[in-house]
Amino acid sequence: MTAEHGAESVGTGSNETGKQGLSGARLAVAVVGGALVAAGVRRRSAGGAALAAAGGWLLYRSVRGRGSATERAGAPPDAQTVERAVTVRASADDLYERWRDPDELDRLLAGFADVRAAGEDRQRWTVAEPLGRPVAWNARITEDSPGEALRWESEPGATVPNEWSVRFADAPGDQGTEVTLRIRFDPPGGSVGDAAMSVFGVVPEVLVGEALRRCRSLAEAGETPTLDGNPSGRGRGDRL
Amino acid sequence: MRALCWEGVDDLRVTEVPDPEVVNPRDVVLRVSLSSACGSDLHILNGYLPTMREGDVIGHEFMGEVAEVGRKVEDVSVGDRVVVPSFVGCGNCAYCADDLWSLCDNTNPNASLQEPVLGDATAGIYGYTHAFGGYAGSHAEYVRVPHADTNCFHVPDELDDQQALFASDAWPTGYMGADFCDIEDGDVVAVWGCGGVGLMAQESAALMGAERVIAIDRLPERLAMAEEHAGAETIDYTEVDVVDELKRRTGGRGPDACIDAVGMEAHGTGVAHAYDRAKQRLRLHTDRGEALRQAMRACRKGGTLSVLGVYGVMDKFPLGVAVNKGLTVRTAQQHGQRYVPQLLDHVAEGEMDPSYLATHELPLAESPEGYDLFKHKEDGCVRPVFRP
Ligand SMILES: [Zn+2]
Ligand SMILES: [Zn+2]
Repeated sequence: MTAEHGAESVGTGSNETGKQGLSGARLAVAVVGGALVAAGVRRRSAGGAALAAAGGWLLYRSVRGRGSATERAGAPPDAQTVERAVTVRASADDLYERWRDPDELDRLLAGFADVRAAGEDRQRWTVAEPLGRPVAWNARITEDSPGEALRWESEPGATVPNEWSVRFADAPGDQGTEVTLRIRFDPPGGSVGDAAMSVFGVVPEVLVGEALRRCRSLAEAGETPTLDGNPSGRGRGDRL
Repeated sequence: MRALCWEGVDDLRVTEVPDPEVVNPRDVVLRVSLSSACGSDLHILNGYLPTMREGDVIGHEFMGEVAEVGRKVEDVSVGDRVVVPSFVGCGNCAYCADDLWSLCDNTNPNASLQEPVLGDATAGIYGYTHAFGGYAGSHAEYVRVPHADTNCFHVPDELDDQQALFASDAWPTGYMGADFCDIEDGDVVAVWGCGGVGLMAQESAALMGAERVIAIDRLPERLAMAEEHAGAETIDYTEVDVVDELKRRTGGRGPDACIDAVGMEAHGTGVAHAYDRAKQRLRLHTDRGEALRQAMRACRKGGTLSVLGVYGVMDKFPLGVAVNKGLTVRTAQQHGQRYVPQLLDHVAEGEMDPSYLATHELPLAESPEGYDLFKHKEDGCVRPVFRP
C-alpha cells in the first residue's frame, strides 16, 4: 500500500450497495464463453475439455439461445423464458421489499441495466447496448403481492418486449426463502438468447443467475463479492 | 508493490503490480509477513488447472499485519497480527452458518464460471484460478482480505510467524482430514502423502487419539519427519506393495481410516501408475488416482476414506470398491474458519507446532527459486515460505 491508494479511494468502488464497477466488463461474461473455448481447445487437456465445455455452453447460449439451454436452466419448455432459483437466508417480506424498491433493483442489475423509479408503479430501464447505443423503455408493475410475488412488464414500444417476475416461497425447515426469478422476452422473430444478448449483453442464464446471486449476497452478507481493484500483472481490476 | 505472478506453465516471475485496496466496507488490506507455497499450487504451475491468466498473483497460505481497514470492520484494527484461511467466508450464508466455510455462497465473484462444471460454486480462494474467484494471491507485499471480521484470526503474542502461518491452509486441511475419521481408541489411521497436508493430518490424527498412524511416501526425509513429529510408522511405496503391507501390519483388517493427502498428481509405481501418467501426459485427464485406489483397497471394511487431495474431474473412480466394502467417503476443501482457533490453542498449549514444515524461508524476490526447490523436492524442501 502506498499513500496514493489510501483512504481517498476507499469505498469508491464499494459494493455494499451491490453496484459493481463493471465499466467495460458488461460484455465480459458473454465473451468469456468464447475465451474459454479458445483456451480449452488450445490447451488440449481434460481441464481444457471441461473448460471448453463450460465455455461452449456459454457461447452456445450467446449465439443460439433456444431450446436445450432453457431446459438446462430448469425453465419450462418455453423458448422465450429463462428461470432460475436461489435460497436466501432472509424472510420473504424482506426480500420482497428489496425487489420492490427500484434503487435495490438497480443494484441487483448493476452493470446490465440502470433502473430508476418513474412513478409509483413504473420504472425507467436504460441499458447501454453491446454496440454502445443506449436503449431505454418504461416498465410497469403488473403484479404486486407483498411477500409473495412481483411482476414487471415493458410498456408498448420497447425494442424488445420483456417481462420479469420474481416469486418468494418459504424454504423447507428454517432455511429461509426460495426466490425464483423468471425473465420472458418476446423478441420479434428472434430467440430469448438473441434478445438478451442484444439488449443486456449477456446470455439470459448469466443475467438471471447474477441478479439472484447478488440478491442473496446483499441480503445475507451485506455486500457482493468483487474483483474491483484486484491487482495483477495486467493492472488493476479484473473480471476474467 | 512486488508480487509473484503466474505467467504460464512453469513460468513464475516477481513483478511490479498495483497495490490492493479496500473495496468493500468489510475488507482489510494485510501487509503480508509470511506466505507459503502449497502442493496444490503445483497443479497451477504444471498447467492442470484451467482459468489462470498471465499476470495472476498466486499464493493462498499466509499471515501478516493489518495495514488498512474498511469502515464496517469491527473486530480487526490496523497493526493487528492475524492469520487468514485460504477460502473466503462471508460468515452469514447457510454454509458458513453450518461451519462449511469452503462452500460459502457469497464470496466467489466468478460463480458463473464454476456452475456449468460443478453444478454449484465454491467459496472464493486467494490466488487460485479465476473459476475459484480470481482474487489476487498472497505471494505479495499486500493482500486484500474480504469480510475481515470473519476471516482474520488474531495470533497470540507468544506464537512466532511460522507457528501461526500453517493455520491458514496446510494444518486445517490435514486437521479436517483427521476430524473426518471420527477417531476412536485403538484406531489405525493410514495417510498417503508426507507433504505439508499429509504431515499435518498424521500429527492431528495422533493428537485426536489414533493408536497408530501409518505414513506412506517415497522421500526418506519426509518419512523421517512423519516418524519424528507424528510418531508415525512409515511405508516407502517404492519398496513394497502398499495394500499388502498395510493388511499385513493390521492383522489383515486394514486401517480403520485412510486419508488421501496426495491428490491428482500422485506418484506411484507399476501398471496403474503408468496408465495414469500416460493419460495425464496426453492431457486426456488431469488426475492420477493411484493413491486413492490404494486407499480404497487397503481400508478396513466399513472404514472411512477421507479425501483431501485436490482433484480436477477424475474420470476413473472405482466406486464399486467403496460400495462393496461399505466405506464412508468424506471430502471437502478445507473449512479453515472452523478449526483455526483450536489450532492456535494447540500451539499455545505446546501440543503441536507445525513450524517445521517451513524448511526454507526466502525473500519474495527468490520465490521462483523456492517453487523450483519445492516442485523438484530438492534439498529436503517440504514448504518454502516467503517473507516479502
Ligand atoms: Zn493449499
Ligand atoms: Zn458464507
